[in-house]
Amino acid sequence: MFYFYFYPFMTDEAPRYSYSDKERQTIFNDEFMPHIHAMYNFAYRLTLERDDAKDLVQDTYLKAYRFIDSFQRGTNAKAWLFRILKNSFINDYRKKSKEPNKVDYQEIESYYNSDEVDRQITTDLRVETLKDMMGDEISNALNSLDVDFKTVIILCDLEGFKYEEMAKILDIPIGTVRSRLHRARQLLKEKLSTYAKSMGYKNA
Amino acid sequence: MEPQKQSPDNLQEVNAKCKEMLQLIIDGEATEEQRLYFKEHMDECLPCFKGYELDAALKEVLKSKCCGGHAPHDLVDQIKSKIEQPKF
Repeated sequence: MFYFYFYPFMTDEAPRYSYSDKERQTIFNDEFMPHIHAMYNFAYRLTLERDDAKDLVQDTYLKAYRFIDSFQRGTNAKAWLFRILKNSFINDYRKKSKEPNKVDYQEIESYYNSDEVDRQITTDLRVETLKDMMGDEISNALNSLDVDFKTVIILCDLEGFKYEEMAKILDIPIGTVRSRLHRARQLLKEKLSTYAKSMGYKNA
Repeated sequence: MEPQKQSPDNLQEVNAKCKEMLQLIIDGEATEEQRLYFKEHMDECLPCFKGYELDAALKEVLKSKCCGGHAPHDLVDQIKSKIEQPKF
């Protein structure tokens, strides 16, 4: 089956089902479309542009429809869609935008996870301060993180994915999910702490 | 036998173990055994308690203040009209 080699994503999953047109419509409408808002929010946080987010979500849904035969009905459609979106972002969008000097975080992840760095990044952020902050303030801090770090926080804390699902969406081992999440939260707390101080938050 | 109390050597080990467990607990990925262990330790360890409190608050604040936005109204229609085109 030559078709298999042209899969833009999920090369490990050949088309396994052959749904009728009616079934395709049902899967698309009942299992894929309900996640449109979560998908848009994820895309917006990745691209930080509303038009780009729309394009990314549209591309993702069109791919999902085109490759619907590799999706098993009744399984985790949200994780499946998030994985396509993340891959589309990396393969298409990020290439286009040519971000300068991208750092390969996988490479320096081991450094980031050392105890030494943990000692350097100690935040004195207080629970009360955190709770007083506005949604926009938290959101901006999250959006300002490097894409690999904000992604794990979005998947885990905003969307409630389990580690195992995140590992599949991101194509990384669970151990890496855990360490990246730990680091991402440290960085986020540090940003929030610095911000709170600059804004003169009481107790910051 | 005396239950394993926290001697200086042991304490370091316990803290390292708890630091690792903290994230699993916050994310609901810990086993029952880990949760009990952590709870027991946290009750008598202020840094661990504070760490737990802050991380739990962060997760809660992210969830309550950063999600729930809506996709633009026309996006759904645009997607549907595209897949209804004959080439699809």
